[in-house]
This record gives sequence, structure tokens and C-alpha cells, in this order.
Amino acid sequence: MKPSWVRQLRALLLKDLRLELRTRDTVAAMILFAVAAMVIFQFGFGTRDTDLTRFAGGLLWVTLALTAVLGVGRTYVAEREQRVLDGLLAAPVPRLVLLGAKALAIVAYLLVVEVIAVPLVGVFFIKDGPWLGDLPLIFLVCLLADVGIGILGTLFASLALFTRARELLLPVLFLPALVPVVIAASGATHAVAGVPNDMAEYRGYCLFLGAYAVVFALVAYATYEAVFDD
Amino acid sequence: MAEGECLGILGPNGAGKSTLLRMLATLLRPDAGALSVGGHALPERAGRARGLIGYMGHDPLLYLDLTAWQNLELFADLYGVPRPRERIADMLREVGLLPRAHDAVRTLSRGMAQRLGLARLLLHRPSLLLLDEPHASLDAPGAALLDRVLAEARGAQTVVLVTHDLERVLPIAGRVLVLRAGRAVLSAGTAGVDPAAFRAEYEALVA
Repeated sequence: MKPSWVRQLRALLLKDLRLELRTRDTVAAMILFAVAAMVIFQFGFGTRDTDLTRFAGGLLWVTLALTAVLGVGRTYVAEREQRVLDGLLAAPVPRLVLLGAKALAIVAYLLVVEVIAVPLVGVFFIKDGPWLGDLPLIFLVCLLADVGIGILGTLFASLALFTRARELLLPVLFLPALVPVVIAASGATHAVAGVPNDMAEYRGYCLFLGAYAVVFALVAYATYEAVFDD
Repeated sequence: MAEGECLGILGPNGAGKSTLLRMLATLLRPDAGALSVGGHALPERAGRARGLIGYMGHDPLLYLDLTAWQNLELFADLYGVPRPRERIADMLREVGLLPRAHDAVRTLSRGMAQRLGLARLLLHRPSLLLLDEPHASLDAPGAALLDRVLAEARGAQTVVLVTHDLERVLPIAGRVLVLRAGRAVLSAGTAGVDPAAFRAEYEALVA
């Protein structure tokens, strides 16, 4: 009886989403953090008369990167606090499936945050931009960036899981690795949030985000066994 | 160990009983020596071996914020249990928790949670049971259930049982292994053994 990895992946993802729906710990904290960060940026940069359109992409992605650190830090909290990790590791689940399910959960949490954060950036920082029409393009950037963040975040969270100073180690490792995502996602957002849209630049940044996700998926594939079993 | 054998592992605290069990459960890598489960060498073919193993540590290995049903559903999917709904209902009935199937584990008593842990252990019909002091946190119905499971396992499932409880292990195990400071100091059959004489020998070995 060899279990199907699709069934295992679906079960692990469903478990994380059910836990989040029941406890509402992680996503609620991420949303509050993102909104608070944007309000602080708004006050920090001045009044609504200041045109912050050219900074909007950067402000959005700095906020989302810091929010992602918050979410990634809670990746294995249920397993650690409720001592379930042995149960998962003793089950015949390929380690890549464990990582994949956690990465998908992070992507789901980030997408929920972005549904609130992206329009908020429009309200706070973009003046007279063709904002609503470009929302699908911005959400495509979010999706591409989130996949990279999810894979990388899960990999680092899994590495940090077995260390003593994990709360310190995770942001120290994870934030610098997010710099390319912040640059590319900010650039892609700026390319379509400003007037006029620069679709060539947008496509270039999106390709970079896709490549980033693929590279870290390969890194995860190459290292997943060692992360859990060594 | 031969298939269907029950081995009791005894020893003082820090002797390496739980460590040995965790190595068999593929949760730790051995520094030296060779291990295999069901003919699958560890850790190289751990993925294959894991499907054969049922491991119960000191904790029930359950998510407290999921319901009893959701926990078993998760592990049924991870182990690829066929006809999971029927099997989950059977296991919950077996451990007396069917009426609490849709309650969060957090709301169950410790004894009930341990019984649910027993259901999780047996859900995928493992051929090797690895039990680390399983009676320690079970309530009376749970302990009786575990004794019945171990009696039914005799000859059908291989069992490795770590315990401090000499009186309980001698009637169950066909053989006992005594560890001290990470080394086996005694491996003996239990047939015809006088419990009092064995206790005296055991205490002399681990003193």
C-alpha cells in the first residue's frame, strides 16, 4: 500500500488551513502587521498631498516581505508546541511533500494578506493611477513572488526548526534572501502602477520572479531529505 | 527479531531505550551499526520502512486544534489507508471515542487523547509496533485496550515495547533486552522466568 503523494499533499495542506481557520493566529497577525506597517509608512512619508506613486511598489513589497517573515516564523508552531512532528516524520511522507504543503500554506496566507494590502497601497500611496484596472497584473506579481517566498521560507523554517535560537536565526537568514524578490516584485508593481504602464519591464521582472521560484524549488529538492533527516 | 515476536526493552533512565526506539522509527540516524525494518535497511530505505511501522512515543502525536476525526483522516491519508472513512469510524468505535469524533482533541481528557493516539497508531495496520512506555499515560480503559491489542498482536505483529514496568512486560514479551548506558547487558527469553528472580537479576545488572 504505497500512499499517493497527491493525497498526502492535499491532506497536509488541508490540515494547515483547518488549523488556521480554527485558531486564526497567523493570518490575523499578518494582516494587522501589514496594515499597521502601511499606516506607519503613510505617517512617516507625510500627508496625502505627497505623491508617493513611485514608491508604492517598494512600500508594498517591503511590507509584504516583513509580513512574510512573521508568517514563516509560525510555520511549524503547531507541530512544535503540540509535539506532533514525530508523527509526521515517522509517516511514509516524502520530505518534499512536507515542504511543499507548508510552502502552499504560506502562499495561501500571503494571498489573503495581499487581498487587503494591495488595495490599501492604492488608497494610501497612489495618486491618479489606473489602479483598479491593473489589479489582476499586480496579483500575478503577488502569486509569482509568493511561490518563491513560500518555498524559500519553508526551507529556512525547516532548517531553523532544529536549532535553539530559531526565532533569531530565521529572520537573519530569510530577510537577506528575500532581497531579490523585493527588488523584482517592486519593479513589476511599479511598472504597472504608474502611468503609463511599462509592460516590457513588467514581463522581465515577472520572468525573474518565476526563475527565482524555480531555482529555490530545485534547491529545496536537492536538500529536503538532509534538512529533516540529518 | 523474528516476525510476530514481542521484545521488551528495559533499563534505567538514560540507558538509550527511547533512542533505540526512535532509531527504529526512522526518527534518528544511528552513528554506527546496521538496522533494518521489514528487510529495508535504515536509513537508506526509511521511506519504505515507515509504512510498516506504528510508533507511539510519550505524546499521542495529535493536533490539539483538530477534531478526533480530522486527526485520523490526516494520518489515514499520509499512510494511504484504503476506505478511510470506514476504517476511521471502526477505530474510533474501538477506542470508545466515536461519540466525540467531531470534538477538538484539546477538549478531550488526557486519557482519551492517549486512546485516540492508540487509534492513530493502529489505523494503518502496521506490522511493527514501536511503543515507548505506552501504559504510562493511559487511563484504565486505555490500558485495558492496549493489553488487548498486544494480546491480539502476539504472533501477528512484531512489537518492541520500552518500559520500566517489569511485572507488565514479562507476561507480554517473549524476550527482554536490558540496556545500560547505551549497551545491551542482557537478552533473554521470558518463558518460565520467575518474576522475583528476574527482578533481582535486573536490579543487579542496572545498579
